[in-house]
Amino acid sequence: MTIVKLKNISKDFSGLQVLVGITLEILEGECHAIIGPNGAGKSTLFNIITGLYRPSGGKIFFLDKDITNWSAHKIARLGISRSFQITNIFPKMTVFENVRNAIVSKFNRRFDWVSLLNKDKKIGEECDRIMNLLVLIDKKDVPASELSYGAQRQLEMALTLARDPLLIMLDEPTAGLTADETRKAVQMIKQVTKGKTLLIVEHDMEVVFSLADRITVLNYGEVLATGAPAEIRENEKVKMAYLGRG
Amino acid sequence: MNLHRTYPIAGGILVAIFLLVIPQTLPILLIHLSTEILYFALFAVSFNLVFGYGGLLPFGHAALFGIGAYTAGLLFNHLPQLSILPILLIAALSGLVAGFLIGLFCVRLSGPYFSLASLAFQMFFFAVALKWRSVTHGSDGMGITRPGLYLPLLGSLPMGEVQNLYYITLVLVALGIFTCYFFLKTPLGNSVVCMRENEIRASFLGYDIFLTKITVLAVSGMLAGLAGGLFALFQGFVSTTCIDVNMSLIVLLMVVIGGTDYFLGPVIGAAFYLIFQDWLSGMTRHWWLFMGIFFVFVVLYLEGGIIELFKFGKIRLWISKSGNKT
Repeated sequence: MTIVKLKNISKDFSGLQVLVGITLEILEGECHAIIGPNGAGKSTLFNIITGLYRPSGGKIFFLDKDITNWSAHKIARLGISRSFQITNIFPKMTVFENVRNAIVSKFNRRFDWVSLLNKDKKIGEECDRIMNLLVLIDKKDVPASELSYGAQRQLEMALTLARDPLLIMLDEPTAGLTADETRKAVQMIKQVTKGKTLLIVEHDMEVVFSLADRITVLNYGEVLATGAPAEIRENEKVKMAYLGRG
Repeated sequence: MNLHRTYPIAGGILVAIFLLVIPQTLPILLIHLSTEILYFALFAVSFNLVFGYGGLLPFGHAALFGIGAYTAGLLFNHLPQLSILPILLIAALSGLVAGFLIGLFCVRLSGPYFSLASLAFQMFFFAVALKWRSVTHGSDGMGITRPGLYLPLLGSLPMGEVQNLYYITLVLVALGIFTCYFFLKTPLGNSVVCMRENEIRASFLGYDIFLTKITVLAVSGMLAGLAGGLFALFQGFVSTTCIDVNMSLIVLLMVVIGGTDYFLGPVIGAAFYLIFQDWLSGMTRHWWLFMGIFFVFVVLYLEGGIIELFKFGKIRLWISKSGNKT
């Protein structure tokens, strides 16, 4: 089943055409990677799907619902959750409070003004579950800004996964990590996203080929090819544009 | 019981006793000053809810205070049969509605633009109060006849007596400040802090930033409106001074001097500001100069406000941790 369908999406920033007629389908349960050289429009595409930018043309469907031009918080509530390339957390709050922000929203308690947050068992337990899942429980009371970079990336993942999203979108999840940390991160992503639909943008080819079921290659804002990793590796156009002739 | 709980409770009881005996022990002028401190404390807390917790700096917060004051003042004069408490409740509600409406227009702007837009709204209401003379009597102001307050067991309390005014102010301010404290402990209060910390992340977690900002302005408006109503009741007089730029500035000074990081910072700030002003203005006509110098000093050398001085190591005595500084 198709989870997200992009139909002829285009985007221009005051004349600069960044995306040209992108048509793409993401299937339920697959891990779909988007790759492409710098400036190919990967991040823009991410931002359009999640509602940060509005597309200049085209339509986006999520589970057959037209979500074109929806605002970010509504799209998030539907079950699309994203991480950011540059770590985007609540730096002054502790790990626990960071995760709790996501949980409060997940339970639709954002506008609850009659109960006390600290006393809420259901929210507390769910926070513990998420922190256990991402091995953050022993750093529970550490302010997020004092975490190591690797742990901040983990927290970023925790915020993304906390809502139990239907579609998880990871924007360069291993950016800035060492080779060792990258390996661990890939392991963790595999483990915590088992059976879920994943859309990732990644530069590290090793990561892409070890995670992805299907790959879409973007170049100059156009889809160059979509297919299984093996097909992409053999695709002549992709070799020309991206992997080099080697 | 560990120290962390004992100290605040003991401190709270002491403060409560102190506040309750003020009218019995102090001379009348100081009761006046204490009452003023009370409703300005509530006003300052409402300001800090928007500034410290919501991360929005309103330059025109006096609009909400003034609307509360005028609403109460007009009702006291034209519908005295409503009696005091319902009138003050309506004043609070008028602040809530005004906060909501001002929010609706200002909140889409951010940073300095928000501040200036809120100032523009305040100037608009100031102009209305100044020019609509048939209702507000402009800058001459209008006097207020206070209705008595009927309480079940105590009978009718005459509002001419300053002790009674003090007690009613104390009760309502305590209620207002507690409401604000409770608000910040709820998931909704957490949404406000969460939005201040990282708007983009919050909206990708499903928080509606626009609505959250409007909500915090409306709640703050309710408290400011109540403070304004108490101001009208206590002064027995409402004029454009309660809705002018100066009033917005005073509350800003109080909050910054007191400290924005802790829940009780604005309360300390209001008390300090008014006592300092009272003391200085008795000595010199140029007290504003010294207040200004002091403000600059606080901003430069005491960034967290004077509440920082009350911290002794890890034990923060009676100052409740706000959750603001997390």
